[in-house]
Amino acid sequence: MIFSARIRLFKRRKSIEKWDRVTGYILLAVGVITAWSSTSLAMGKMRHPGPGFLPFGLALILIALSIALITKSWKREEQSVPFWPERGWVRPLLGVGIFLLYAVLLPPLGFILTTFFFLIIWMWGIERIRWATILPISIGVTAVLYFIFSYFLEVPLPAGFLSL
Amino acid sequence: MGEFLGMFQGLASGFDIAFTLTNLTFALIGAVLGTMVGILPGLGPSATISLLLPLSFKIGSPVTSIIMMAGIFYGAMYGGSTTSILVNIPGEAASVVTCIDGYQMALKGRAGPALGIAAIGSFIAGTIGVLGLTFVAPPLAEFALKFGPPEYFSLTLFGLLMATLLGGGSILKGLIMVVLGLLLGSVGLDPISGAIRFTWGLHMLQEGIDFVTLAMGMFGVGEIFYNLEKVLKTELVTRKVTHLWPTLKDWADSKWAVIRGSFIGFFIGILPGGGAVISSLVSYAVEKRVSKSPEEFGKGAIQGVAGPESANNAAASASFIPLLTLGIPGNAAIAMIFAALLIQGVQPGPFLITEKPEIFWGVVASMYIGNVMLLILNLPMVGLWVQLLRVPYSILAPIVVLFCCVGVYSIRNTVFDIYVMGIFGVIGYILRKVDLEPGPMILAFVLGPILERAIRQALLISAGSPLIFFTRPISGALMGVLILFIVLQVFFNIRQKKKKMNP
Repeated sequence: MIFSARIRLFKRRKSIEKWDRVTGYILLAVGVITAWSSTSLAMGKMRHPGPGFLPFGLALILIALSIALITKSWKREEQSVPFWPERGWVRPLLGVGIFLLYAVLLPPLGFILTTFFFLIIWMWGIERIRWATILPISIGVTAVLYFIFSYFLEVPLPAGFLSL
Repeated sequence: MGEFLGMFQGLASGFDIAFTLTNLTFALIGAVLGTMVGILPGLGPSATISLLLPLSFKIGSPVTSIIMMAGIFYGAMYGGSTTSILVNIPGEAASVVTCIDGYQMALKGRAGPALGIAAIGSFIAGTIGVLGLTFVAPPLAEFALKFGPPEYFSLTLFGLLMATLLGGGSILKGLIMVVLGLLLGSVGLDPISGAIRFTWGLHMLQEGIDFVTLAMGMFGVGEIFYNLEKVLKTELVTRKVTHLWPTLKDWADSKWAVIRGSFIGFFIGILPGGGAVISSLVSYAVEKRVSKSPEEFGKGAIQGVAGPESANNAAASASFIPLLTLGIPGNAAIAMIFAALLIQGVQPGPFLITEKPEIFWGVVASMYIGNVMLLILNLPMVGLWVQLLRVPYSILAPIVVLFCCVGVYSIRNTVFDIYVMGIFGVIGYILRKVDLEPGPMILAFVLGPILERAIRQALLISAGSPLIFFTRPISGALMGVLILFIVLQVFFNIRQKKKKMNP
């Protein structure tokens, strides 16, 4: 019963089979690099395994598994599925960009300003929510987070130029 | 007899701890948060617990923070069904099958009884699960005192392989994630010889990859990036939910499903590597098979809601057994709780019950209380939670990302950790894109050091002979069961392929 249940869930998913091959090659490279760099560690002997023993063994297993993934994907019919649906990369990329901006601006601008602008830029830039919703939420969330972390949990949040 | 008495004394002292105001408050916070993330699609219990890891130190004593995190985990099992029934999207992974019949019931105007039986079944199963935990864990921990390195190696291997076998995805990909997780876990100082591994000359990697940063990146941030791709729409079948209390007929139809689900969930949850997701799938398959009218399934059979929803709760409670008695977490969410214990300086394992009884019994007792809280939250108050479904993901997502950023910053007060978490977030996003689930990886990352120490010490004992894993009785038995499972799975796959060729 356990075995059939597993397969049923598996079929439910949309497979991205074309990308299995690319994934396989990348994993193969990771495996080879890991195996190569663990040879510089002491391997030890079976009766006294050293620090390189397990990583080297794991790297070999990874190489075998990625070869299995590659051969499996060659056996199947090539399906050309794009990695992203049309313009599907825009929103995730914006998300990553805004995330990066937050980390960059946090020390100079301080927690309160950066958090407030982060919320506004995210909700407007990615989601196009109405300003009447964005403003109260941004103010409220910033205040609540500041209260939780600064007062309740006593985390020294970066104050930025406001501390001057 | 004396042993039995000890358990009751332990449980009584546990209730003393759980009934303090602080612990009650945090149990309630856990239950509320759990229900909330269970209801909200796109945010699961693993991600939520990872968000709270940096705070676990600041929240208070180990027992208090674990009470809260446990509440999130089993609370999510309650909440998940609500979204499955009303929106036809699983609120969290273990409620996938509830969509099938739960949503059909809602379409037929029976959303109330579906929600009702899900909550009541969850409560019964959750309580059965905690009862099992109360009475199975202490003797199991005592038994586990006999375990040496070979047993621990077989046990961790068993857990890791079972997690991929029972994981629901491709076994090959699951294994890849396990190996990647083990390799990530070996970065930094070698636990035995102290040699430095895979730091590529970076000093910050000497202490190894920080679990909290990795988990928050992979689960918190990575999941948000992934979900940004699609616009999650939550359209409710109905806003008004009435007749929550199941009728006598509904109850008669579903009581055995609840009982069966509870036991299926318990026995799958107790397995290292087993979890709530697979137990709900198995329960659904069982209910369909034993039913006198299997054609009803898929068209709104109440057993199709009662069974799986009970199973995932029992499994959630039971999965605390391998964690608290063997120190071996069985799934990603439990791995997070394992990490929280380590952060607090508590080593989960067979000594936990005797050396830190207040943690074990406090958490167990809180789970009885938590289940009562959750029944109240999810039965009379379910209408309130339904309103929560109107909070769009577009508002929730930036808040979660912010919480991750501030959380990871708060560990060492450095912005650098935010960048590292961001990198893991992008990796987690790409892994999800190519259908590699990060769950087994997180589990393997946590189990890696245990596995490595065990295999190297075992080989020292046996003077290099790997036969030691098969000749020692307990280790041999585990290996035997594991091999049996693998053979059965292969056998099943072959049969399945043959069926496809000549139907």
